[in-house]
Amino acid sequence: MRPLGMRRLASVLALTALLLGSGEARALTYIETPSLAEDVAAGKLPPVDKRVPTDPAVESGRPGQPGGELHVLISSARDTRLLAIIGYARLMAYTPAYDLVPDILESVDQHDQRIYTLHLRPGHRWSDGEPFTSEDFRYWWEDVANNSKLSPTGPPVALLREGEKPKVEILDPLTVRYSWSAPMPTFLSLLASPTPITIYRPAHYLKQFHAKYADKDKLDALVQAAHVRNWAQLHNRVDNPVRNDNPDLPTLDPWVLKTAPPSERFVFERNPYYYRVDREGRQLPYIDRIDAAVADSKIIPAKVGAGEADLQSRYLRFDNYTFLKASEARNSYRVRLWKTGYGSQLALYPNLNVNDPAWRNLLRDVRFRRALSLAIDRHEINNVIYYGLALEGQNTMLPDSPLYSAADRKAWAEYDPGQARRLLDEIGLTKKNSEGIRLMPDGRPLQIVVEMAGAAAEEGDVLELIRDNWREVGIKLFAKPLQIEVMHNRIFSGETVMCIDRGLENGLANAEMSPAHLAPTLQSDWQWPRWGQFYETHGMSGEAPDLPVGMDLLKLARQWMDATDFEARQALWRRMLAIHADQVLTIGLVAEVPQPVVVSDRLRNIPEQGVYNFDPGAFFGVYKPDRFWFVPEAPADQPS
Amino acid sequence: MFGYVVHRLLVMIPTLLAISLIVFIIIQLPPGDYLSTYMAELQAQGEAVDPQKIAFLREAYGLDRPAWQQYLFWLWGLLHGDMGYSFAYNLPVSQVVGDRLSLTFIVSFSCILFTWVVAFPIGIYSATHQYSWADYGLTFLGFVGLATPNFLLALVLLYCANTWFGVSIGGLMDDNYIGRPWSFGKVGSVLAHLWLPVIVIGLSGTAGMIRRLRANLLDELQKQYVVTARAKGLSPFKTLVKYPLRMALNPFIADIGTLLPHVVSGSAIVSVVLSLPTTGPMLLDALRSQDMYLAGSFLMFLALLTVLGVFLSDLALAVLDPRIRLGAGSLK
Repeated sequence: MRPLGMRRLASVLALTALLLGSGEARALTYIETPSLAEDVAAGKLPPVDKRVPTDPAVESGRPGQPGGELHVLISSARDTRLLAIIGYARLMAYTPAYDLVPDILESVDQHDQRIYTLHLRPGHRWSDGEPFTSEDFRYWWEDVANNSKLSPTGPPVALLREGEKPKVEILDPLTVRYSWSAPMPTFLSLLASPTPITIYRPAHYLKQFHAKYADKDKLDALVQAAHVRNWAQLHNRVDNPVRNDNPDLPTLDPWVLKTAPPSERFVFERNPYYYRVDREGRQLPYIDRIDAAVADSKIIPAKVGAGEADLQSRYLRFDNYTFLKASEARNSYRVRLWKTGYGSQLALYPNLNVNDPAWRNLLRDVRFRRALSLAIDRHEINNVIYYGLALEGQNTMLPDSPLYSAADRKAWAEYDPGQARRLLDEIGLTKKNSEGIRLMPDGRPLQIVVEMAGAAAEEGDVLELIRDNWREVGIKLFAKPLQIEVMHNRIFSGETVMCIDRGLENGLANAEMSPAHLAPTLQSDWQWPRWGQFYETHGMSGEAPDLPVGMDLLKLARQWMDATDFEARQALWRRMLAIHADQVLTIGLVAEVPQPVVVSDRLRNIPEQGVYNFDPGAFFGVYKPDRFWFVPEAPADQPS
Repeated sequence: MFGYVVHRLLVMIPTLLAISLIVFIIIQLPPGDYLSTYMAELQAQGEAVDPQKIAFLREAYGLDRPAWQQYLFWLWGLLHGDMGYSFAYNLPVSQVVGDRLSLTFIVSFSCILFTWVVAFPIGIYSATHQYSWADYGLTFLGFVGLATPNFLLALVLLYCANTWFGVSIGGLMDDNYIGRPWSFGKVGSVLAHLWLPVIVIGLSGTAGMIRRLRANLLDELQKQYVVTARAKGLSPFKTLVKYPLRMALNPFIADIGTLLPHVVSGSAIVSVVLSLPTTGPMLLDALRSQDMYLAGSFLMFLALLTVLGVFLSDLALAVLDPRIRLGAGSLK
């Protein structure tokens, strides 16, 4: 009951805040942004009260000051998409407590988690000043997602419920309704994802590239000029809000790309029509410009240490911490250590779909997986590699998740070589060779090749420690570094016996988030790649799960989709987590390895203790980078 | 002579065709293609990839066709001056490469200049003062330059430049000049950054150059005509410059063939370490991500430069050194 109560409370609070916020907004007198004042005076831009929606989203936190340029480092032109991720302007958005609230949307009405009515903010505009209306939703659904030239595979699979498309109705210029015949509990969280399904597009801009609307000769000329084969390819290229590489594409994000790729430096400028204001009436974002310079990812820590970034976390790793800390004072920044959201920093994945029949039998024996897990000294790994700062245990939820269970994390994760030996003997792996290595039933020595893709030293170091642990119970480990693509192909084709990679992407989930990662639904879950492929391709390729555990998990995931009340979902989540813990489907090592976040001394509103996570979280996204602000450079602020 | 030049030019065509085939095969050798790399990258960052979408992209980019069709498609484009499409940048290759070439030329020519300016005097000095302390000392320095891994030297200098002179780490100019039109400030910024890569890249070539010049010069210095010139009372400096040095220059001209591609591809590793906006890192990246048209066009460009360079150096040698006869084979 309690979690439900909390959730209700949270949504009531969110609603109240929204109501209060909008009430306040009407009373607000807006303050013009200094850097835009000139354009407004010259008549190039309308004044601020004409630019923000009639009913803007109001930021309730402490107000800051507008201005400044934020320097960040990226490793290639493709990273411009990072700005779309951390800008985190979404129809729905997660709060730092992972509650889902309307953001671009003014509100959502939902019925049975089946019918969703989305309400837009009146007066909301794209970054080029054109109105943002339900026409933009219609355009995407009818002319993009369901156009066989632009989307030959149809609307995104994530929007389908057992293959069924939603019904999309445009009720009026500010109201859109999505409905399914069965519950679709993941819909709102899809909209809040770091790489969301953007179910709207700037129709006024894109129509010039669409054969249905554009003048044929003009469109042909555009296609020619862009060196592409047909209009559909051109449309797909200019229309990529997630990739964020077209400076002409209007956006709702806080900052708008101004540099056309390719370049060594990308400039993003504030969106003058942004929909959020602070409680004193200043339009967000506070920071005028973001300057992203491209540098090789290996040199980024050095550049950050030299003070060349105001805010950086990407491409910094825990082992850079001491170096970064050493030049803190010289370059006036501070390194903060944030928590990470992986279920386990690194985990071993025994491939249940491996081709080799002897290995397949062995890896499918739960006693063998338990023995492998019990034979690992996680405490040693933690102390040797992570200075004792990490959390030891299985690959499951983190303590900050409402679904956390200490028992799950500890299950089969205590270092107990004695019991590991007993389990291995019990399986019948009793014969040993002259080296003391156990022999497999077919007489081969028990040598596990663990494949790893990271160029980073971290995985190799961890495996080195596990090698010594396993040697003690009579198992030999070889670490095999591979190119990431090669490793993936080997896993997909069943060549790989075991690999090491990041643990669960989302260790902070709550029962409202999809448990798809816990069931064999994805090819990229390395413990059952073929089962995942089978699910992803609707049985076209891969293998159907043939172990009870796989079938059970799949059934539970389906039940979760159908469940409409919170308790049922939570119970299903817990069951699935418990199965994972008991069956040791992946062997987790340590979690919560801190992520260094470098923050300039002049930058404000960035939490001291944050969680650094991709989904949910969007890295900085949940902390709303549009409210980060610079203390103006004053002599008093200069470090002496 | 004219017939020879025409013949050499015609031979270039099958040579380049053969190279293009080899280049394409080599790029296609690693398993997978750009899209599998792209998928792996997304997954490594925890993002989901829709397999259907990947299949669609594969079709849109023509990656689902057999390799020979892709090759012919690319070759046909090359013949028409179309270098193909870069998947990673989502742009035609010509647009991707464009602005990097000029900076590459600046860096590379500065390096060649540096190498010559340093190697020439040292080479001449150590040849004329063989086995002196200065000879040993300078040669030693040259060898240090040759023996130190470039990337290591780059890292050390990078650190020093940053802590002592406050030069920003990596790159060829301060970030705020990137993408801006040329100005005095920008030129100054480039100059402030240029010396570092020039020293790092240039130093490695210096030792080889010194040794070659020294060895060639030593050969010539012993010869009869030098003794004769001296005996006739020609000043030592004039003797040196007019006869033996000219003879010793042969390898430098023969080097042109390798020099031209070096201008484009050279020092890729150092450029990566220093994150220079030159073509080297881009080529490396294209090869790693199997962005095949971008990588292929780069490699073809290098091949073209090598072939042209060899041709040019042959011509120059014939002009400068009358002992070399171009049509020698046919005269026999």
